[in-house]
Parts: sequence; structure tokens; C-alpha cells
Amino acid sequence: MDTSKLTSTPLHRGAEADLSLATIGPWRVVIKRRVRKEYRTPSLDEQIRHDRTISEASRIHEAKTAGAKVPSIVGVDVENNAIVMTHLDGTVARERLDDMSINDARKLLRSIGEQIGLLHTAGIVHGDLTTSNVIVSPSGEPFIVDFGMSRRSTEPEDRGVDLHLLQRSIVASHNKDSSSMMNSMIRGYEQTAGKKAAGSTWRKAREIARRGRYFAIR
Amino acid sequence: MCLGIESTAHTFGASLVDDHDRIVTNVNSTYRPPVGVGIHPRKASEHLASVADSIVKTALSTQDGSSIDPDVIAYAAGPGLGPCLRIGATVGRALSSFLKKPLVAVHHGVAHLDIAMSIAKAHDPLAVLVSGGHTSILVHIGKRWRVYGETQDITLGNLLDMFAREAKLPSPGGLSVSKEAMKGEKLIKLPYTVKGNDVAYSGLLTAATSSLHRQGNLADLCFSLQETAFAMLSEAVERSLVQTRRSEVLLAGGVAASSRLREMIGSIAEDHGASFHPVPVEYSGDCGAQIACSGRLAFESGITVSTSDSFVIPRWRMDEVDVPWIPRN
Repeated sequence: MDTSKLTSTPLHRGAEADLSLATIGPWRVVIKRRVRKEYRTPSLDEQIRHDRTISEASRIHEAKTAGAKVPSIVGVDVENNAIVMTHLDGTVARERLDDMSINDARKLLRSIGEQIGLLHTAGIVHGDLTTSNVIVSPSGEPFIVDFGMSRRSTEPEDRGVDLHLLQRSIVASHNKDSSSMMNSMIRGYEQTAGKKAAGSTWRKAREIARRGRYFAIR
Repeated sequence: MCLGIESTAHTFGASLVDDHDRIVTNVNSTYRPPVGVGIHPRKASEHLASVADSIVKTALSTQDGSSIDPDVIAYAAGPGLGPCLRIGATVGRALSSFLKKPLVAVHHGVAHLDIAMSIAKAHDPLAVLVSGGHTSILVHIGKRWRVYGETQDITLGNLLDMFAREAKLPSPGGLSVSKEAMKGEKLIKLPYTVKGNDVAYSGLLTAATSSLHRQGNLADLCFSLQETAFAMLSEAVERSLVQTRRSEVLLAGGVAASSRLREMIGSIAEDHGASFHPVPVEYSGDCGAQIACSGRLAFESGITVSTSDSFVIPRWRMDEVDVPWIPRN
């Protein structure tokens, strides 16, 4: 589809894409357009934007089919490196967590864990799983968004990266309660991915965290 | 007046920083391995030991020849090469007990950020540290630097140095690769690995060296290596900047001397309305001044170490060090 003629209002500027709002028929939609990055040499830039647009749309659709809570794809504009998807009402988890009680935070993390378990079981890894990429609906259900770095994989390594990144984003902004929050997340993950997968993925995540530079114990 | 002693890897440096954070003296000597060879820890430490005496003497003397007694001695306790670290630590301990002045153990990576923040005037930035020992994206939360993104294997400095070594280009590798890159123009497809806010460079190094051994065009290869490696880091930086919403971006460490990297990170800062604070090129690489600068700040926060506890720590993460002096005024 061609998004260049749609009237839209800017919604959000992300790191690699601009989001804007539009209406198509009965739907309120979000247009995610990957913008040219001045810092990248043009041929590398074009290749990265093209590949990620197609891969992101495919992964979101697969996640939806697997029953995960994600946006629905309305269309893809390959010419303009844009994806059109349904708009989600809600707040970014990162902000919601700031003014939540620890019990509510743990409940939310558990539901997030269930969603990640669904994705992983369907053979999808997110690749950029932080609390900024989870939208919490008004009824408190987490939707996972931004599949720009996602890939098809069932490798414990790739799954471990997902949990590692989530943990790090929680430690960075909610350091005090991070370990109990991550415990709840793992309980949720077990629900949908099974105990065995949960065990191996979490072990890998801890191993990845230790791979950073200059840890005294390896 | 704080005396700082650097000896984590290839450089022995001594420097005096005064109470107003001004660099009074900064004297350094760097061990350069032969072309095609890496830094041998013992050979590097022998070089450091042979120059230590004269460097400290020069750093402690004024222009008219009289010598200055420092009030505090700071040494780089890590991370780095064990044999090299021990040279600086020995000199620091000796001076501290002879002059009866307090001793401060400085983290070399924290010091890179401290000197960059002092000179480039940053308050509470998203910090990008790129060198032979570090490739990290950090923000200060609570009392410590928190790692927002980092390399999962080798550092950006390692990547450029190891490739330069394979290509028989002289050290420092980053500079040699960037000189060659200016003559290149064709982008060769190389692995581009960004995992969230992390990067991984080892696949890129393997692909670039094997292409080199297949007699690829060196200039194009250097151009492609540099563009790909810097774009990976830049993407992780941009992502971190959006997530942390900091209004300043600091670029520090040896690879911060690269004009292409400065251009790329600067463009990201501008794009997101943040101010850009690159460390001046002359203070980007390892030097005594960074240790003196960081040691002074630690001392003012009441952080010192007794001689009997003044160990070296070859593996020491940035997020294990208390840095209560940030945000800076």
C-alpha cells in the first residue's frame, strides 16, 4: 500500500522510526516509517531500513497468529519503508511501573512473562525487549510492540538476550525491586513456554549478563 | 593539587590537576609494538617501568625548575594488564608513603568519563566510552554509572587494532584504518550485529580479516569496516538516548578521536535535541590527566585507600565503582 498520500498526525519519534496516527476506514492506525539516518552511509542505510520493515511486519503477523497480544498489521509500504498497524490505547510499561505498588508491578511482570513465553514458543525472538517496548492497556494487559529487531529463532542464546535486555531495563530504572519483579516474570514465562524452556532461557540470560566486560567471576 | 598516575596498558602518564580542576602538567609515554604485533604485557610493563621515574619527575616540576609537592596521589587500579597496573600502583604507593599524602585508587574507565566531563563541560550525560578496553553506553543513576549497552565480545578499539594488525598497518589501529578508509568508497557487505542496546564485533572482525586475506581492496575494506562498526554503535547510542531521555551526549575514550565517529554520534545528539560533548582529541587516549582528574574528585568526596588495601584490579566493571560526584556542577 502507498502511505505517502494518507493524512496523518505525528505521534512519537522513536530511535529508528517516526510514528504517526491516521484513519483508514473504521480503523485508527499507526504508521511506522523508518526514516533516513544521516549518520549512516546511504547504501547501508537503505539496506537496513528495507530489511527491517519487511521482517518486522512478518514477525508481528506471526506473533498475532500465535495468539500474542500485539498490534494487527493493516498494510506494508515497502517503497517508503513503512508499516501500517492498528493503534493501541495505553501507557508505556516503563512509565506505568514508576507509580505502581510492588504487588501490581509483579502482577504486570507476570503477564509480560506470559507474552514473552508465547512469542518464544512460536519461534519468535523480540531482540529489543525493554519496558519501553511494552504498552499497558487501560485494563492492565501488556501488549508487546516494536518488532524491528526481531527474528525467527528458537536458540536459547537469542531467547536469553530477550530476558537479559528486559532485566537490564528494569534494573536501570527500578533497581530496588528488580529481582522480585524478574522472578514474577519467569513465573509467567513458565506458564506459556513450560518449565524446561523457562529454565534454559533464564540460565542463558544470566550467562549473557556475565559476558559484559571485566566481570571478576566468569 | 592531585598527582595522577596512569599505567593500565601501553601508556605511562603522570599529571597534576589543581583544586580548580585545571590540568597543570600532563606527561605521557606510550609503548608502541612493532607493526603486525599486539601489546605484549611484559614488554609493555618493562617500557612503563623504564620511563616511570623521569615522567613523574617532569610532571612534578614547574617551568622554572622547582618541584611541586602534591596533596593527593591517585593511581589507576584497573581495569588493565596486571604487569602494567602493578608499575603504576608501586609508584603511587611509594610516593604516598614517602610524602605522607593520601592515596586514591582510580577506575581507568570512570576516569575517561571524568576528564571528558570536566573539559567538555557535561553535567549528567548519556556517556559513550569507546577505547581498547571499553565499548559501553552508560548513564549515571544513584551513586554509580549503569551500563545501558555494551559490547558482548571485543571492544571497538580491539576490532580496529586487530584488523590493522592483520593488514600490517601501524599502531594505533583506529587512526591507520581511518586514513585508509578515506580512500575507499565501495561498501562491502559485512555482518551488522546489534542486539538491543548491545553490539557484537567479533563476527565483523572475522569477516573483514577473511576478506582481507582473499586480497580484497584494503581501502574499500577499511571504509566498510569503519562505516559498519560505527553505524552499529551509533544505532545502540541512538536507542539508548531515546530510552534514557538525557539532554547531553558525552563521547570519551581513545576511539573518540575518530572524526567520523564524532560526526556520527554528534548527528544523533543533534537529531534528538541533545547537546554533544566530545572529549578533546588530546585527552581522548590514555593519559595521566584523566587519573589526576578522577582522583581529585574521589578525594573531595572522601574516597581514599590505605596502602595495605591499594590493590590492582585487572578486571573491574564500571558499574562496581561508587561515583558520588556525578551529576557535575
